[in-house]
Amino acid sequence: MIELRQVGLKYGEREILKNVSLTIKDNTIKAILGPSGVGKSTILKLMLGLIKPNNGQVIVDGTDITNMNETSLYAIRRKMGMVFQGNALFDSMTISQNLGFFLRENMKLPEEEISRRVAEQIQFAGLEGYEEQLPESLSGGMRRRVAIGRAMIFKPHMILFDEPTAGLDPVSSKKILSLISSLRKNNNLGAVIVTHIIDDVFNVADSVAVLYKGEIIFDDVTEKLHEADHPFICSILSDKILEL
Amino acid sequence: MKTLQSPSGAIAFTRALQEKLLLEMKVFFFTMQEFFWFSVRAFVAIPKAKQYWRDVLDQAKICGVDSLPIVLVSAVSIGALLAIEVGNLLEDFGAKTMLGRSTALSVIRELGPLLMGLMLSARFGSRNGAELGAMQISEQIDALRAFGTDPIAKLVTPRLVAALIMFLPLTAFSDFAGLQSAAYMAEHYHRLDPGIFWNAVYPRLVAKDFVVGFLKAPVFAMIITLVSCFNGFSARGGTSGVGRSTIKGIVVSSGLVLIANFYVSKIVLENM
Repeated sequence: MIELRQVGLKYGEREILKNVSLTIKDNTIKAILGPSGVGKSTILKLMLGLIKPNNGQVIVDGTDITNMNETSLYAIRRKMGMVFQGNALFDSMTISQNLGFFLRENMKLPEEEISRRVAEQIQFAGLEGYEEQLPESLSGGMRRRVAIGRAMIFKPHMILFDEPTAGLDPVSSKKILSLISSLRKNNNLGAVIVTHIIDDVFNVADSVAVLYKGEIIFDDVTEKLHEADHPFICSILSDKILEL
Repeated sequence: MKTLQSPSGAIAFTRALQEKLLLEMKVFFFTMQEFFWFSVRAFVAIPKAKQYWRDVLDQAKICGVDSLPIVLVSAVSIGALLAIEVGNLLEDFGAKTMLGRSTALSVIRELGPLLMGLMLSARFGSRNGAELGAMQISEQIDALRAFGTDPIAKLVTPRLVAALIMFLPLTAFSDFAGLQSAAYMAEHYHRLDPGIFWNAVYPRLVAKDFVVGFLKAPVFAMIITLVSCFNGFSARGGTSGVGRSTIKGIVVSSGLVLIANFYVSKIVLENM
């Protein structure tokens, strides 16, 4: 379980997050919805301890990671997988090297076990035959699936997705969303999805938090989003894609 | 309307300038602090270099073997040029037989290591800045951290270790090439017997001359690697940000190489 308690964050004079509180339970999919540049990706980085808040607490599985040092954070981070917006694949490595990289780096596993896990993720992502290709030779949707496979390589409890369908064509978006749904069904995984596309929320999320001007203005099950009377939520429900 | 000519305008201008200067100073000190801790972490991670021995070998090839041609070209040209210019000057005083001694001192103590440092700052430093900057922009460095790998141990320390190892032989090659080209020009341009040239080189070189020259190699290795990697890690703002951080890395490391060159020479020559 991941908890954000009264988290505030400033970049210089600019206040990005104001007293944000969120809870993401295991084996649930939570969406964080909001316009671009509002601080949604920042929330994911806070959950991983990649950035520190100015105030408040970040709790992962009961451990307060707010002021934890980088070395202690590594163990916590391995409980979560992260799919970055631009995928952040290592462009000089092949697909199988990308998938196996962190296993070789951080776990003392025999090479057979690494190969087995890599093959498992290749199959899960539907990338058989592309093992020795470089990321640049794959389509956007395929690269996203490699990034999801890499995020699952440590068998985490929770996967954090930063704009998982942004920049993808409708068919690839659908594939990615069904892949996310299957994670919970088949692997008992929880997920946090940061998005500005409201259809994604209705397609996969159990609950949704709406971030607007640095504050959470809605946090409940997805179905209740239609009942919200905040003008911003009403506007996004009518327009579907959020603009700045 | 307030103008600089009116007292209130001048006061406002002075205040704005003061605030800007204070902000710049604050940014400078924060950057220095960050650079200090970045460097400490790179050194602390040196024992982990064993884990990344493949990266160390790759980087040793990049900064050592692959840099050899440019280092040799610069050493040969500066050695030849020194021999011509200094030879002409010594000829006026009838002291052409001292050509070997004067070029050897210049090459071994100063120009060999300095040129190598500047060439590597441009070649190795720019590569580090651009590569790490691109990784920073595309969130690959964040990905390393997110999956539990120390990016400094993985990306910076192998470069540092490789540079510390490779800069010494590069200095030796640079000195050797510089002296050989000077000897060639002494023989073919100034018609000086090679025996006279080399006789003025070897017996007169003392330990201090080599200490000055070879002490610069590890100092330059640290400066070039840490400054360029730090700038790569600090890249922000897309592809133009990568360009800015790369240029900054080269400019700052080249400037620091020149300053360090002076101080290493001064300290060693005054104390040995």
